[in-house]
Amino acid sequence: MTPSAYTPAPGKRFKVGDRVRVKTAHPPGHRRTPAYVRGKKGEIERVCGRFPNPEELAYGFDGEPRRVLYRVRFRQRDVWPAYDSPSEDFIEVEIYEHWLEPS
Amino acid sequence: MNRNPADIGGEAAGPIDTVDHGMKFWEKQANALRNTLTGGKVVRLDELRRAAEELGDRYYRLGYFERTTEAMRNLLLEKGLFTRSELEGKINELRRRYDT
Repeated sequence: MTPSAYTPAPGKRFKVGDRVRVKTAHPPGHRRTPAYVRGKKGEIERVCGRFPNPEELAYGFDGEPRRVLYRVRFRQRDVWPAYDSPSEDFIEVEIYEHWLEPS
Repeated sequence: MNRNPADIGGEAAGPIDTVDHGMKFWEKQANALRNTLTGGKVVRLDELRRAAEELGDRYYRLGYFERTTEAMRNLLLEKGLFTRSELEGKINELRRRYDT
């Protein structure tokens, strides 16, 4: 069995329940933050751990320093302008700390 | 805005092809080579994804295994595991051997 890639995340910037906003930047490069959540507000749902930075791994570097990954919960109607539902639906996206700012 | 070709969430998708096309022999070989290269830490999956995204318009024109194989070729050239002329020499040698 493959061991879990989970790592503790000391020194993290956000905690569960914190309100955050995803940066609106569109820099070139191997970015793993989906365009549809950039600039959107959400809430930290969980801290996933610290992982090598895929934006660096993609170019053959070692991914250090590791970055804290969070699962961020967004209201669907905040993400999709035409989202038409009376219910409180959510979408959760895993996003690295350097893409998030306090909201 | 630099939107990479893999970042299509929220775009109109059109009809989805749900037919199982199976895998051709060369596709199985290409997949095995990719797994060998990533398993042996010669290349990382992140690098392969990035190389595929860098195919630009070709990303959309190529089939899945064509895309991943071309990305793998570009990445191995980039890393200097072989040169373009070595690759072309090998391809020509195989063409002669199989008379194609």
